[in-house]
Amino acid sequence: MIFAIAVFAPLAGSLISGLFGRWLGDRGAQAVSVILMLVAAFFGVVSGLRLLTGLVPDGYVFVGDWLHVGGFQADWSLRYDSLSAVMVMMVTVVSTLIHIYSIGYMEGDRSVPRFFAYLSLFTFAMLMLVTANDLLQLFFGWEGVGLVSYLLIGFWYDRPSANDAAIKAFIMNRIGDLGFALGIALVFFLFGSIRFDTIFADVVAQNHAVYHLFGANLHALDVIGILLFIGAMGKSAQLGLHPWLADAMEGPTPVSALIHAATMVTAGVFLMVRMSPLLEYAPVALAVVGIIGGTTAVFAATIGCAQTDIKRVIAYSTCSQLGYMFVAVSVGAYQASIFHLIMHAFFKALLFLTAGSVIHAMSGEQDMRKMGGLARLIPYTYVMMWIGGLALAGIPPLSGFFSKDAIIDASFYGRGGGYACICVELATYLTAFYTWRLIFMTFHGPRRGDAHVMAHVHESPWVMRGPLAVLAIGAVFGGGLLDHYFVGTGQRAFWNGSISTVNDPHILTSIAHVPLFIDFLPTVLGLLGIATAFVMYMLRPDLPALLAARFGFIYRLLIHKYYVDELYGAIFVRPYHALARAIWHVGDEDIIDGIPRGGALLARGSAGGLVRLQSGSLAQYAFVMLIGLVVLISVFLIFR
Amino acid sequence: MPIGIGQYLVVSAILLVVGIFGIFMNRKNVITILMSIELILLSVNLNLVAFSGALHDLTGQVFTMFVLTVAAAEAAIGLAIVVTYFRNRGSIAVEDVNLMKG
Amino acid sequence: MNWIVALPEIVLALSGMAVLIAGVFAPRPGAFQLTSMLALGALLVTAGLVVIAPAGVGYGGLYVADAFSRFVQLLILAGAALAIILSLDFNRQEAELARFEFPVLILFAAVGMMIMVGATNFMTLYLGLELQSLALYVVAAFARDSLRSSEAGLKYFVLGSLASGLLLYGISLTYGFSGSMSFAQVARALLSGTPSVGLVIGMVFVISGLVFKVAAAPFHMWSPDVYEGAPTSVTALLGSAPKVAALALLLRVMMGPYGHLLSQWQLLIEIISIASLVVGALAPILQTSIKRLMAYSSIGHVGYALMGLAAGTQSGTTATLIYLATYLFMTLGSFGVIIAMRRQGRSVETISDLAGLGRNDAGLALAMTIFMLSMAGVPPLSGFFGKLYVFLAAVQSGLWTLAVIGVIASVVGAYYYLRIVKIMYFDAPVRAFDRRSPSLSFVVAASGIVTVFFIIVAGPVTAAAQAAALALLG
Repeated sequence: MIFAIAVFAPLAGSLISGLFGRWLGDRGAQAVSVILMLVAAFFGVVSGLRLLTGLVPDGYVFVGDWLHVGGFQADWSLRYDSLSAVMVMMVTVVSTLIHIYSIGYMEGDRSVPRFFAYLSLFTFAMLMLVTANDLLQLFFGWEGVGLVSYLLIGFWYDRPSANDAAIKAFIMNRIGDLGFALGIALVFFLFGSIRFDTIFADVVAQNHAVYHLFGANLHALDVIGILLFIGAMGKSAQLGLHPWLADAMEGPTPVSALIHAATMVTAGVFLMVRMSPLLEYAPVALAVVGIIGGTTAVFAATIGCAQTDIKRVIAYSTCSQLGYMFVAVSVGAYQASIFHLIMHAFFKALLFLTAGSVIHAMSGEQDMRKMGGLARLIPYTYVMMWIGGLALAGIPPLSGFFSKDAIIDASFYGRGGGYACICVELATYLTAFYTWRLIFMTFHGPRRGDAHVMAHVHESPWVMRGPLAVLAIGAVFGGGLLDHYFVGTGQRAFWNGSISTVNDPHILTSIAHVPLFIDFLPTVLGLLGIATAFVMYMLRPDLPALLAARFGFIYRLLIHKYYVDELYGAIFVRPYHALARAIWHVGDEDIIDGIPRGGALLARGSAGGLVRLQSGSLAQYAFVMLIGLVVLISVFLIFR
Repeated sequence: MPIGIGQYLVVSAILLVVGIFGIFMNRKNVITILMSIELILLSVNLNLVAFSGALHDLTGQVFTMFVLTVAAAEAAIGLAIVVTYFRNRGSIAVEDVNLMKG
Repeated sequence: MNWIVALPEIVLALSGMAVLIAGVFAPRPGAFQLTSMLALGALLVTAGLVVIAPAGVGYGGLYVADAFSRFVQLLILAGAALAIILSLDFNRQEAELARFEFPVLILFAAVGMMIMVGATNFMTLYLGLELQSLALYVVAAFARDSLRSSEAGLKYFVLGSLASGLLLYGISLTYGFSGSMSFAQVARALLSGTPSVGLVIGMVFVISGLVFKVAAAPFHMWSPDVYEGAPTSVTALLGSAPKVAALALLLRVMMGPYGHLLSQWQLLIEIISIASLVVGALAPILQTSIKRLMAYSSIGHVGYALMGLAAGTQSGTTATLIYLATYLFMTLGSFGVIIAMRRQGRSVETISDLAGLGRNDAGLALAMTIFMLSMAGVPPLSGFFGKLYVFLAAVQSGLWTLAVIGVIASVVGAYYYLRIVKIMYFDAPVRAFDRRSPSLSFVVAASGIVTVFFIIVAGPVTAAAQAAALALLG
């Protein structure tokens, strides 16, 4: 029951501040939504701990009927097992911190209540997603977070770039959702149900099901797995459907921290882990996941190395880290995936909020080339950025080290792991590099900002610094504390069957025996990356420009994000425009003048006939009724 | 010739048809329409009473009483509406009732 | 005698008379206000009684209270109550309409509708139907000094009486050839052997009479004129509760006494449904008056609702009931918006008067958009679910032609619904409407919420409709 409070308190907060915001005022709306988020976090953590310590068993809370159409059944219910408990704790805690941070960050904005209403609504949708007991409710939460993400990216709706970004995010997500929706439909046709318990109980029996398509026999579970992964790709910004994430940075920074780092983008990973009992029987799908995930990890990291917008760097870093999580999924180390997801939520939210703090200090400037030398002016933010950076780069003993290590070790042992393993090792090096590039460009070196802005640089208020401290504690100690439960020897008892452990001997037991060099490699690579950044941006600041000139092609490739946007523009957008224009000219003016306009004319003509029949004369109305009666009787007597 | 149920039905059917035709053939007066409606109801009553007799069942006659009562109310309301209409239009010719169309 | 099954109707009828007396003795200027409030109270109490009153058959098999009648009666009461709330402000502004008889007549009409859906005998059916019709004839002509209103009343009266006559004639034939007025006994009589021609013709007459009341083509001719001529608050009522009641009555009669003749009447209902769909899709295209447009659009909606009846199955009945529930709120909400269309104290009624509403009154425009999209059947609004269920039911019963025509009709229909949205948001604004009253905003907001959030309560509503269908089909 208290679990339900944790889920529905944000909804209440959203409705109150959304509907009565004008009446409550900014302060009132903030107070209501923050208090209700605190309530949600409290109950989320308490109920999570009760579950994880074995005080209460797994199960679900039934909320109400939803749809019953034929054999199709979907209810509103909240599932609680270890997986959803962990996710609920993370979502409520991080979201609460970001709510508090937003009080400071959104100070003076025109529509504060709307912002908080969206933020709380997002939290509710995310909680519905992670506590879903069937695929449809998960889809409901999935669409819900997508919708609110759209609203929040376009929060400053008077900026054209924000609107474009919002639409881009929406469309990219919709492409993924199409795959997801197809996947759900196939699951229903195959299993006759969309409830997780029913599906998982039946997986083994359906292992031999095949689809016949164009003469090929396709393994049904593989097809479903790939479709679900397409959905996950859209939401988690994996290679191909990734461009929206960087553009999403048009939204306010707390939004980027909450939605585009800590929670929503991890929904894809969560979906994969939730469906792990099914994916275990879909080897091809897992291989696809591994290849895409590994490639994304490197691909996004390289782009991150050349970006100059502070938020975009972190955004590509998110993209890359999500690739890690998918790699873990592909080798069957779902636990490590969730471990990294949770740790990532803390340190990435920390990094984003710190970046927000920098932007706040710089009066809205996001370009790192106009920063520099901020370390002394905002030391608190500087320290926080270091903590976040160290955790992200996987330097022991911070949290990122533990979770990343588990993934790298697992990828070394995993099926077909060679490719993924190389990818993640490479990405580790790049991660450390671009993170310190960001730190050095922002905080060290000469002060490149214009004097007017630099004069106003100031540390953020306490309401913004407080959440940073809490997140930093999580980023520093989280990994060490939770390692044992999430991926260590305690994992089997901890997850308690909520994540598949079919592949025995489980991969997590074998990673304890990895060769020493694999164990140390990530740390070494991380330090190496930091050193590279130090050399390039501290010792020899002329080096980057030199390299950019020497390797102009690569540099241009990176700064233009591999021209993916341009590619899509050329392949999809422009042909689409051309097609639309062709249809407009040829179709509208020729064919619509022909058939459809003929149809329209026909419709108008018959409408005219019908209307003329309506002459206003009583006698005629009565006559039509009589004709109707006669026709009905004759039909009867003729066709009976 | 003994008069059976069939004859009653034919008479009532003729009454019905006359009533219906009275509604849409007449172009002159709305009052005629009210009378035609009464004619239709009477044909129904004739039917009901005839069936009641043939079936040896009283329900039909009870229903006739109800229909008569309702017909009285209906006539009252109909006349009231016609009076209102006349006050506004100054005429109760059926062909004038065509302000709204389309 | 189990009189308690009709307790809600009795209470409502008595309170109607009490409100009438209160209105007679109330001080003149406030009488309308007072009787409206009393009427609303009476409707509320009755709704409570409908919920708690026991189910069962009473009055020697003349009357029944079951899940079906309860479902429909609650819709009727909600429709009547919302229509009274809509009239509160409108009738005050049109001076001659603010008479205390208005809510009283609506109460009596509501009693009639409740009796219709609880009838299990042709006598009860006729009395309920006439009680409802007579009250509605009067309210249609309620604006005594308006030529349009009295013409609307006259047309409604004459054609309605003709339809009642046809219905009665059909009832008399049914009585004569089956030997009883009771639904159950007629059904039993039809069970054995082939039905006689007289009985079947009687059934066609009954169908014609009832179909007139729901304004399905080709018995729809009265409705555009009456919708246009009657005062808008009356039109809102005419478009909502009586349609629901009459369709429910049609369901009860066709599935009950004539249930065994399904194979005989299925084709008729299909024809009527298709004719209504066609009229509802095409005729609105050329309209300029928003009230006429709503009249034609509601003819189309009746066509969809009849698809469920044509299916002739339990799921079809469920679908029709769900359709009615969604239709009621969409319609009342749209009429709330139409009533709000007033400039300088005069109501305006052409579609082009909506131009620029999106800029002048964003809330109202949003609500109208929601209702229009819902009527067009855009997911996830309530109208989509209504259509989805009737299409499913029709397809399950193998009525492919009907389903295909329904889909085409909804595509064509979307054109004029979207045209209204386009006019509101893209056409140059004329002048802003007068301030809308809180009561109006309440109805619009409540209907909007029901329409938007129907998806969340789809489960319970479907379950209630299923229970109702089960009660009807036994």
